[in-house]
Amino acid sequence: MDAITLEGVTKAYDSITAVDAISLRVRQGAVLGLLGPNGAGKTTTIRMVMNILMPDSGSIRVLDQPVGERTRDLIGYLPEERGLYPRMKVTDVIVFLAALHGLSQAEARKRAAVWLDRFELGAWGDKKLIDLSKGMQQKVQFICAVIHRPPLVILDEPFSGLDPVNATAVKDIMLELRDRGSTIILCTHRMEQVEQMCDSICLINHGRSVLDGELRAIKQSYGKNTIHIEFTGPEIFLCHPAVASVNRFGTGAEAKLKPGADPQAVLKAAVDAGAQISRFELLEPSLSDIFIERTANA
Amino acid sequence: MRKVLLVVQREYLTRVKTKGFVISTIIVPLIGVAFALMTGYLATRQPTQSFRLAIIDHSGAMAAPTQNSLDTKLPNGQPEFSVAQTPAAGGSPNDVEESLRARVNAGGLDGYLVIPADLSQQIELHMRNPDNMRIIQTVSGAVSQALIAERLQARGVRVTDLHDVLHTEGLKLIKVGKTGEAVERGQTLGISIALVMLLYVALLMYGIMTMRSVLEEKTTRTMESLISTVRPFQLLIGKVLGVAAVAFTQFAIWMATIGLLFTYGAFMSAMTAGSPFSGTHIPISLLIYALIFFIGGYFLYSSFYAAIGAACSNEQDAQQLQWPATLPLVFSVVIFSVVLTDPASRASIVLSEIPLFSPILMTLRISVQTPPFWQIALSIALLFLSVVVVVYLSARVYRIGVLMYGKRPNLPELLRWLRYT
Repeated sequence: MDAITLEGVTKAYDSITAVDAISLRVRQGAVLGLLGPNGAGKTTTIRMVMNILMPDSGSIRVLDQPVGERTRDLIGYLPEERGLYPRMKVTDVIVFLAALHGLSQAEARKRAAVWLDRFELGAWGDKKLIDLSKGMQQKVQFICAVIHRPPLVILDEPFSGLDPVNATAVKDIMLELRDRGSTIILCTHRMEQVEQMCDSICLINHGRSVLDGELRAIKQSYGKNTIHIEFTGPEIFLCHPAVASVNRFGTGAEAKLKPGADPQAVLKAAVDAGAQISRFELLEPSLSDIFIERTANA
Repeated sequence: MRKVLLVVQREYLTRVKTKGFVISTIIVPLIGVAFALMTGYLATRQPTQSFRLAIIDHSGAMAAPTQNSLDTKLPNGQPEFSVAQTPAAGGSPNDVEESLRARVNAGGLDGYLVIPADLSQQIELHMRNPDNMRIIQTVSGAVSQALIAERLQARGVRVTDLHDVLHTEGLKLIKVGKTGEAVERGQTLGISIALVMLLYVALLMYGIMTMRSVLEEKTTRTMESLISTVRPFQLLIGKVLGVAAVAFTQFAIWMATIGLLFTYGAFMSAMTAGSPFSGTHIPISLLIYALIFFIGGYFLYSSFYAAIGAACSNEQDAQQLQWPATLPLVFSVVIFSVVLTDPASRASIVLSEIPLFSPILMTLRISVQTPPFWQIALSIALLFLSVVVVVYLSARVYRIGVLMYGKRPNLPELLRWLRYT
């Protein structure tokens, strides 16, 4: 069963087509990275999945049900724009949102205490939101998104503003949710997080899906077309005709090869030029490179 | 439905627990009691000093009878007037008046009466405070009596005790209503004005409270988290009902306070003795109608204010945009004297049927002179019908507005929002 199925979904505001005939299937238990430049149509897509907006055409199913009132409660959502009632007590806010998601208030209270402890916020339950630091508030909001154990979790930039310790805690919880069978959609601009967390991606640009599928398969389809080389000495060999583009850094460079080019030719050119090579490696392209390539061409 | 109730519950509890609620709940009745006490005190307070009046009588026949008629007493037993006759012959008329004017300005005299030699001409009353109606009425009565006596005698009618002949007790006003008759001492006006002010303040106060409450989720961005689980319509209805629950709680506390005060009647009657409001009886039907129109008016105005809150993304914008809702309320209060003087005029009837005005103006008409039942029924029907329409439109604006931040929408944009699906 698919967690989400989008078929030919289109949404236009006046003259602007925000989402243009997107079709997408997200396997249950997957961690999907929803990527795209600013204004690509990610938020509109998410809002249609959450039944906040209605698509102009196309169909959306969540966990094999057409989107509607009943599918709302299956979703946990961490919005990119953070903020909760600032003058309410931390526990009260969590309980309120959990109750809206269908938990009994008693159960919500019990779970809230467990979650607050887990995020080392146990002593803050009776404080008002406004008294918490930004990072703490974000943790509270994350709790609100997952406390009702939703089968589908949508997280918009969940790590922004978190220190490494808390970012790791959030990451662990995401993996835990996945292991329990939840499907996770991660919206972010941080490609390294997607590479770490996601098993599939969907890249949206100008309202269209330009790339989607298993992350591994996508990267393999690009082949090992990138050379990672660390060296000292002349660098003239980087102008070799097989090299499409170069990204220099302190101890070496990353060179992308033209399609069908032979990496050995570049290595030979480097040796011939007299460069002292300490490392030479053939890589799949980084997600970041794929992102730039796919969005720049469109 | 469960979600709506949760929203109502949160809205109610967070509002009732605030300091602002506690303070306004206590302060408003205190102000009311202070106001009533002050009115009572002012109404019962009587002047304790005689009005010092001089009479210049050029006719020579009027001064004595006028002075005899000015024999009223103040509550403390002092005569209300202390009258001195000034000989008219002691110099030119201008000199005499000049010296009297000087005495009035120096504070040695409160006023003087100039009676012309020819009694067909007007008699003049000069005084420092020509707004003192009580003095003017009494002096006017005394002069009239003296004048009538003078003319009767001129026609050969001999009247020994004219004062007794001409004395009347004045008019007693009795209000005729369906429930019977009641002696009128100004309480109809008092109740009407009190009702109008109460409705105006309550509709404005709770309307703006609803607007703020609707803005709250947007300004704090809590909306982003909420919309994944609550439909905007559920949230809007929950907020309007939540603030309504707060409003009725506050009202119940105030009414209970007033009820207690009436129960300890000694306090009330001591407070209002002699004031126009003592022994005031408010018909129960008026209270019921007032409640119906308050409920209808509350939902109409609060959903109107809610739509304004929904269209804006911060308080400043909302304050600038709230005039369309505030204007009809202010208009109702400005126009209320028109309805008060002639509650059955065509203008009164039409205005009291229009939903935005009817909560205040129909209640006013009912309190002054109960209109035909069909007019009340039509007004109520129109009011609640428009509530449904405004709630529906507000919900549509809200549904789009909740996710729009930034620039305040103009009217064409708002109309476009109404069409969005």
